Amino acid sequence: MKASTSQSESVAKGFWGKALSSPSIREFLRVVIAISIALGIGFIITLIVSDEPVKAYSALLFGPLTKINRVGDWIEESITLTFLGLAVAIVFKANQFSLGQEGQMVLGALVAGAISLFVPLPTYLRVPFAILAAMIVGFLWGLLPGYLKAYLNANEIVSTLMLNSLAILLYEWVLTYYIKPPDAGYTASDTFSADGIMPTFFPKLPFLTDLRTQFIDQTNISIALYLAIIAVIVVYYLMFRTPFGYELRMIGANSKFARYGGINVKKTIMLAFAVSGVFAGLAGAHLAMGIHRKLILNISFALGFEGIVVSLLANNNPLAIPFAALAYGYLRAGANVMERSSDMSREMVLVIQGIIILLVTAERILPMVQRRIASQKPKEPTMDGQSPLGDSTGLAEGGD
Amino acid sequence: MDFNVVLGAIFSAAFVASVLRISAPLILPALGGLLSDLAGAINIALEGTMLVAAFAGVVVSAYTQSWVLGVLAGVIAGILFSLLLAFAHIYLGTNIILAGIALNIMAQGGTIFLLYTLTGDKGNSSTLPSLKVPDVIIPGLHNVPVLGEILSGHPIFVYLAFLFTWLVSIFLYRTRLGTHLRAVGENSEAAASVGINVNRVKIIAIGMSGFLAALGGLNLSMAYLSLFQNSMVAGRGFIALAAVYLGGRKPWGTMLAAIVFGFAQALAINLGSLKYPPQIVQMIPYAATILALVVYNLRQASQVRERTRKFQEHHMAEMAAARAGQD
Repeated sequence: MKASTSQSESVAKGFWGKALSSPSIREFLRVVIAISIALGIGFIITLIVSDEPVKAYSALLFGPLTKINRVGDWIEESITLTFLGLAVAIVFKANQFSLGQEGQMVLGALVAGAISLFVPLPTYLRVPFAILAAMIVGFLWGLLPGYLKAYLNANEIVSTLMLNSLAILLYEWVLTYYIKPPDAGYTASDTFSADGIMPTFFPKLPFLTDLRTQFIDQTNISIALYLAIIAVIVVYYLMFRTPFGYELRMIGANSKFARYGGINVKKTIMLAFAVSGVFAGLAGAHLAMGIHRKLILNISFALGFEGIVVSLLANNNPLAIPFAALAYGYLRAGANVMERSSDMSREMVLVIQGIIILLVTAERILPMVQRRIASQKPKEPTMDGQSPLGDSTGLAEGGD
Repeated sequence: MDFNVVLGAIFSAAFVASVLRISAPLILPALGGLLSDLAGAINIALEGTMLVAAFAGVVVSAYTQSWVLGVLAGVIAGILFSLLLAFAHIYLGTNIILAGIALNIMAQGGTIFLLYTLTGDKGNSSTLPSLKVPDVIIPGLHNVPVLGEILSGHPIFVYLAFLFTWLVSIFLYRTRLGTHLRAVGENSEAAASVGINVNRVKIIAIGMSGFLAALGGLNLSMAYLSLFQNSMVAGRGFIALAAVYLGGRKPWGTMLAAIVFGFAQALAINLGSLKYPPQIVQMIPYAATILALVVYNLRQASQVRERTRKFQEHHMAEMAAARAGQD
């Protein structure tokens, strides 16, 4: 890949050529192109399927902004997505394809919920205790596949998916047999008491009451907002300012080289899985104590792989993750509005999501565009060896 | 006694037959996973491929009222879907694992979306008059007491699962393309250097894995059940991948591993009739998969240690011999 990009960089001149040679602009463009194409395909699907395609699609695109409580839903969703995106970024940075965030999140929600319900502590102790417990559970549920991968070389995709299924069943079992009140008509816990809920992000100050009743009280945004900001900073610091982060990035770049460089690759990989689980557990605590305020079945509904999209959109960069989460959370919130106000089902967003992942991670699209631009300027025919489809670099891409 | 009830259930012809029926939709995608894995292009999208094929089969059989066309449509849909993976990986340069994840998400969302569009229901396709593939009755054998119950009367997919295990092993070890496929997976650069078209081999391997996964998906929606259910594949595509590793990346081993998982699932269904919480029983196949991963990798590690030890001993002996010769 490197050979082909530098090749076209030397050819590419002019404004676009220069702009495209800056890595951050390339990354940004890559994401913008991917989202645009995916949304375009989504619109074509809507045109084919829906009776009122314009209404449906404008609900998807503008729905989250139409009411204050919808804005609140969007922000809340983006907080969960930020935690999940951070969790994914940590493992992906080390080139480990852990898909275990859902299981870690569900167990985090279970533990946080159980503490919120049953531990008789005052709010200022109970909430931090529950959050901490969720983080620890996420850590442990991540440590397991991390150990299996690092020390036994067990395929992490298979192991984390199996652990997800186990965690969800464990959650359902405990919820149904131990937490659900016996007289409840459906499988859910009692609503948490005020002592077990994350307090609102906006303190109840004596002034600004108008502002509060008009905007803030229409939403359920909790202190998780600040936790998410702190988490972003912590992960950034961890990744770029600590030995652990350095080792993580080294392993991601070249694990053999990292091993020769004296890094304890096994231990770092195991810890990457576990630390990733901490943030997935935090997402679970937010689901239980911030969003639903009780434990329900399918609490992780449709969140399973969302962290992956967020992390990929942010190119695994922790500082970009909240923005990617806001962008993607907007799409998801829009899908909910679309489903409620039109004949389209929200699952269309999953198709858009898949297309986004494919396009964002497609290494060859930008070089192709770049080469097209480059070849337009001097009007020279592309040589055979430069054809993006036939070049020999395609061989080496393989399984490594 | 609960335990005796379970034992009695396991040692019955009906149980063995049910293990075969439950294993078939694991064996077929596992063979597909084996082919793509040996070609060095791990197919994470088996799960999504099964879903797409299961869905296409149900819809086409419902609208054409022909199960043959339904199966055909499912197979074509599965192959095309998996070729999408090959396209993304080989021509767009997408990491094959991420591409597989993307395709699984698209399959999950796309099937629910289309199901809702066609039926107005997100749960299942019970309002569509889809067809079942008829069971195979082996004449002469069918009425033999125990053997007939075990071997006859299954959907055709059960027989196909074993047939394809045999065909895949012949393909891999007795044909030119099979050898090329293994060479590509072993070392793609070396394979390319002797003139093998690496991309073509990978595309063929992924396409074949799509075909086999499609049969597994059709097995679920047109034989095991006779309708499509939201997320009905339920992790079988991933369990199939685990079976590839547990089976030592060999066709017959993969088949046996898939049957072990089928056994665990059948056991879960049988235990479900007892008083245990259903969730605990449902955990069995997943826990078994993790255990299998551990066992496989421990065995693998000890084999490597053994080989290293032998090599070292051999080397030491040679050194000693050389030194003796010098003296």
